[in-house]
Amino acid sequence: MIAEVILAGLSALKDYIATHVLTCLVPAFLLAGGIVTFVSREVILDYLGEQASKLKSFPLAAAASFFVAACSCTVIPVASGLYYGGAGIGVAFIVLWVAPATNILALVYTGSILGGGMVVSRIAAALVMAFAVGAVMTAVFRSAARPQDPPAATAVRGPIVVGERLILLGLVLVSLLAPNYVVRTGTYAYKVLVWAVLTGLVAVYAARTVPREQIRAWLRETWWFVRIIFPLLLAGVFVVGVIGKLLPESWIRTWLGGNGLQASFLATMIGAVSYFATMTEAPFVDTLMKLGMGPGPALALLLTGPGLSLPNWLAIARVFGAWKSVVYVTTIMVLGTLVGWFFGNFILVR
Amino acid sequence: MKIQIAGPGCPRCQATEQNVINACAALDLAADISHIYDVKQYAALGVRMTPAVIVDGKVVSSGRVPTVEELKKLLKPQD
Repeated sequence: MIAEVILAGLSALKDYIATHVLTCLVPAFLLAGGIVTFVSREVILDYLGEQASKLKSFPLAAAASFFVAACSCTVIPVASGLYYGGAGIGVAFIVLWVAPATNILALVYTGSILGGGMVVSRIAAALVMAFAVGAVMTAVFRSAARPQDPPAATAVRGPIVVGERLILLGLVLVSLLAPNYVVRTGTYAYKVLVWAVLTGLVAVYAARTVPREQIRAWLRETWWFVRIIFPLLLAGVFVVGVIGKLLPESWIRTWLGGNGLQASFLATMIGAVSYFATMTEAPFVDTLMKLGMGPGPALALLLTGPGLSLPNWLAIARVFGAWKSVVYVTTIMVLGTLVGWFFGNFILVR
Repeated sequence: MKIQIAGPGCPRCQATEQNVINACAALDLAADISHIYDVKQYAALGVRMTPAVIVDGKVVSSGRVPTVEELKKLLKPQD
């Protein structure tokens, strides 16, 4: 029995990691590292801090979150820094929600495992939820006193990203998307070939336009992501394999099958309470779907899995105050349930 | 000289602290180095991306792990 369970874990590792390392994980980490190195996030945050109009600042916050943080561990300091630095409460909580729910690493990995439809749904649902969360937080805490006066702006404002670097990031993005999305058919070797050609192109372009020192900085940042995320991913995927083996299929069918409100709520609860290291939610959802989970609950779990966890509630409560944490978590649970139900019944119909 | 490292205690923040210590050692600099873990406290100092390095109250690096070489340039006495 124990040997069987361990074997299941190992086979999950082989399925989800081995076949994704070159064509998906390597370019995704390179892209995340490139964003940290070449995109001036300070400047983005400056814009967010001073936008007074919600019509502008909410979409800006949502869009910026794709680039600001690539894993949930870094997002609480960013969001609290925004809040204590003078941005609105709505903006801070949008960043807090969108960054882990739809960061670029997790999206890519979701797509290559669960398909493009699920990714588009994940982005759309996360954005809708983000605006709702921003509106709720603003409405509830409109009159709350600010903790202190924001510190004086110190920034010398430069461009967000230099043109040539933008082309470079674009090329990395292509090398990431092409093998995983454009090439839908064909063998794994063909995917690797497409990846290799495009990566070669990225390397040549980088060598010609980017100073050596910056390339080194880029690779260093990339390596940081690998060091922090990869071990968690390995452990997470192993656990996914084990859980998939241990959970009786009939349970999943009964509790998470179909697209009902109850299944969606249960999936939201599972996601909101338990901690998923960034990216591990995709194989977990894939495993559960193979065992009979409906697409609606699957989406709810994809969103709340990385976006919320018990340790995360406590951290938010410590930084923003318990009351804000309670309102935020409750709002996400209600929204997650509704979004799962809605997308399951009307969008992700198969 | 007072050097503060701001970060919630993540591996990148530890690496930043280590690099600051190494840079100070390389420059033979006697600095008062401390690490701020409390988010509210460093947010009040103007830090938004962690890890950040604050020298005499001014944020000189944030959002990434600066190398020892970069830090040596930043920390070198100006005169």
